[in-house]
Amino acid sequence: MSTRDDAPMTPSALVDYAKSLDCIHCGLCLNSCPTYRLTGAESSSPRGRIHLMRAVAEQELAPDAAFVDEMDFCLLCRNCESVCPSGVHFGAMMEHTRDALVKSGRSKPRGLVRFAFDHVLRKRWMLRLATRAGRTLQLMGTWRIFFTHLGKHGRLLADVPDIPPARERRRMPALTKAACDRRGAVAMLEGCVMPELYGRVNRAAASVLSRSGFDVQVPRDHVCCGSLHAHNGDLDGARALARSTIAAFEPLVDEHGAPAPVVVDSAGCGAHMKEYAHLFASDDPWHGRAKAFSARVKDFSEFLAAPLARDGLVRALRTDAPGQALGRVTYDDPCHLCHAQGVRKPPRELLDLVPGLERVELPYSEQCCGSAGIYSMLRPADSLAIFAPKVAALDETGARVLVTANPGCHLQWDTGLARERRDVRVMPLAEVLELATRPDGRVTASRPASGGA
Amino acid sequence: MDPKLIDGLRAIVGPAGLLADDVRRKPYESDALAYLKRIPELVVLPRDTRQCAAVMELCARHRVPVVARGAGTGLSGGATPVEGGIVLGLARMRDVLAIDPERRIARVQAGVVNSDLSIATAKHGLFYAPDPSSQKACTLGGNVAENSGGPHCFRHGSTTRHVEGLVIVTARGDVLDLSRPRADPLGLDLVGLFVGSEGLFGIATELTLRLLPIPPVTETLLAIYTSLEAACQAVTQVIAEGLEPSALEIIDKLTIEAVEASVLAAGYPQDAEAVLLVEVEGSEAEVASQTRALEPILRAFGAFELRRARDEAERARLWAGRKGAFGAMGRIAPDLYVIDAVVPRTKLAALVRATTAICRERRLKLANVFHAGDGNLHPNISYDRRDQDELARVIDAGHAILRTCIEHGGALSGEHGIGLEKLEAMEWLFTQDDLAAMCRVKEAWDPEGRMNPGKLIPVHTCMETRSALPSGGRA
Repeated sequence: MSTRDDAPMTPSALVDYAKSLDCIHCGLCLNSCPTYRLTGAESSSPRGRIHLMRAVAEQELAPDAAFVDEMDFCLLCRNCESVCPSGVHFGAMMEHTRDALVKSGRSKPRGLVRFAFDHVLRKRWMLRLATRAGRTLQLMGTWRIFFTHLGKHGRLLADVPDIPPARERRRMPALTKAACDRRGAVAMLEGCVMPELYGRVNRAAASVLSRSGFDVQVPRDHVCCGSLHAHNGDLDGARALARSTIAAFEPLVDEHGAPAPVVVDSAGCGAHMKEYAHLFASDDPWHGRAKAFSARVKDFSEFLAAPLARDGLVRALRTDAPGQALGRVTYDDPCHLCHAQGVRKPPRELLDLVPGLERVELPYSEQCCGSAGIYSMLRPADSLAIFAPKVAALDETGARVLVTANPGCHLQWDTGLARERRDVRVMPLAEVLELATRPDGRVTASRPASGGA
Repeated sequence: MDPKLIDGLRAIVGPAGLLADDVRRKPYESDALAYLKRIPELVVLPRDTRQCAAVMELCARHRVPVVARGAGTGLSGGATPVEGGIVLGLARMRDVLAIDPERRIARVQAGVVNSDLSIATAKHGLFYAPDPSSQKACTLGGNVAENSGGPHCFRHGSTTRHVEGLVIVTARGDVLDLSRPRADPLGLDLVGLFVGSEGLFGIATELTLRLLPIPPVTETLLAIYTSLEAACQAVTQVIAEGLEPSALEIIDKLTIEAVEASVLAAGYPQDAEAVLLVEVEGSEAEVASQTRALEPILRAFGAFELRRARDEAERARLWAGRKGAFGAMGRIAPDLYVIDAVVPRTKLAALVRATTAICRERRLKLANVFHAGDGNLHPNISYDRRDQDELARVIDAGHAILRTCIEHGGALSGEHGIGLEKLEAMEWLFTQDDLAAMCRVKEAWDPEGRMNPGKLIPVHTCMETRSALPSGGRA
């Protein structure tokens, strides 16, 4: 589990050895892995990476730069977990190894990333300051000059999308009342980067919940769930943020005083929050609190597709075929929704509820788009290569709108489709449902004011 | 390794196609039979036939042994590296080159994954029949090397019946195109000879494969038994009555438990001692009449429950559970030895009894999954390769089971191949003359003995064959 800072880091501590023994070496995971499909090298496959971890733990192999590179190359999409008959906890193993590689100084987190993890993502005012500065630079047209001057670090910023204007970055209200007969109350995660880049998506999600009959509460003092920390080798940071998240949501209750469901419209955050318990040893009191908290976490689509909410949504849906305005729609599964949370049907069912909406399946929709949290910034070339077949698959569908349910995927598709000059709109599921339940007459889905990249 | 060879290979396949460092070579030390291992000197990943030929030519010049590898899902050590040798991986050759729906054939590169081909051909209403359990990961080139089977090969036949043509790169690096349409079927059937040669002859780089029309109706039945023997007897009877289901698979209790605990949970009843999975395909009338004939037989041998898959999703779940059985056993121990045993179908129950006794004597944990229709059993023994004593008992049990198969008139392998695993067993089944004949064929393809040496045919047999030649050595 956790490794204490003062303990000497032996090679075996780099690996969750017990978990590595769950792998029986059958190889059924190989073809599910985006990095293996890209390189054809088994060191870039789940079985290969586990084999390497086990070899390091058994001291047959030195954890050298090549080892670190193969661990960093993994997208943590967890597609392998969806196909593993042996139930290997690949994601948890990889988080453990990355954390240990950073702690033992074998993997150096890039300066800007470290700074963002330690400071920016943890404090709302830092986030606001960063986006305000970014927006100013972008408006002045000096953005590119700025990041080229940052040299290697600047590459991280090259793909940062246009930061929306302040009115789109305003905070969500602490309470949004149910817009019709009240069915219950929920708590919603506002998140760290979400309100800065995709505040409109959060507001759309809250509108849909409110129109479906739910009071929506947002804890004002909460910032980040810590998933980016966990995925990128900072388990201590992830633990601290998990504690603050649990504490922030514990007081939020429904009208009967029972803990309110925690609705999350970012698949990466939701997946991590559902697995908080694995950050804490079983004798740690936080382990139990984490378990109780995780049981409340529901993806936005998962919550809405359940009978009570679904009934409310159906009543709120417009009947004048609001889906028609969108043209053909397809849905791309975010990895941390389908592989990490096992949520596949609800988003599709909700889209199919929208009158007039034509939905087609996207081939290989469960393959990663290459966004993978901050991966697209850390390894832009690999991310692009992994994205390429996704565009080809999208072309096959002839869809005009691509629906996703995770901000990272949203961003990857937005910038990717602009670069590839495809006239396809990317819409989060929450925005589609917001349009379809909008009480006034307009169903013209205009592009957001800030536009694409 | 000669630096000239390394530079030469890198020039052919590019830097990303050559894996030379410790970390990137390490995962290639074994295939899915993990107790046999050796780290290869280099791993080379060509993109196409041309690169493959150039690699082979260079290896010939440097007299380097070559082991071909697809996805490394084989279970007989066929892709285990050899001393001083390189691994030639085909995982980057994954293009479907052409699909011809009229002629019902597809031309593919050898690294295409088995199930990806059926996905690509589905829009033409066609599929590729051989379906090894690892079909979602294993390559078609590897299937050719091992002449792989799968549940549906009971009806459709194993890989060799589905290969129309091959492009082969020989040990010297020549390209042998045996895939041109042949108006005249006469002449030596080199393609037939090559399939199942386990990498001893050359490298198949492009395959022309037969496709079959997707049957209009498929019915999947799950018969549930209170004893494994009863399930075996039902299978024997189904075959005796001349019925032709497309698959007949038996899964025992321990395997059911492991599968039901996994993501592939198929809904197999956990109180059963064994389940028999039966599939029937064809026109609506054919399926109906077959099913009508099957049901009383399945019940006569004690099936206390008979379920029918209601829809495609349930059918897919039943099969995903069966095909994930090997991996699911990882829940029981870190390693699994999948034995590939074959007996006449009338001897199924006898072999199950013998296998159970063999494992009990050696204190080993046994689970059974088998292609009952083919008389192909997979006794699965769970173990931990870190425990040398247990590993020795596992290997000993494997030998005892194989000897029992031979006594019952069976064979050494149904579909996994001989590889390294069953090398010594070859001499139990074949005479010295048989083996000498195999050696001579091998030498015709690969006179220097550099292609996957030490696999399939016991080496000393080849040496004895050579010394018996009038020249006293290589011809």
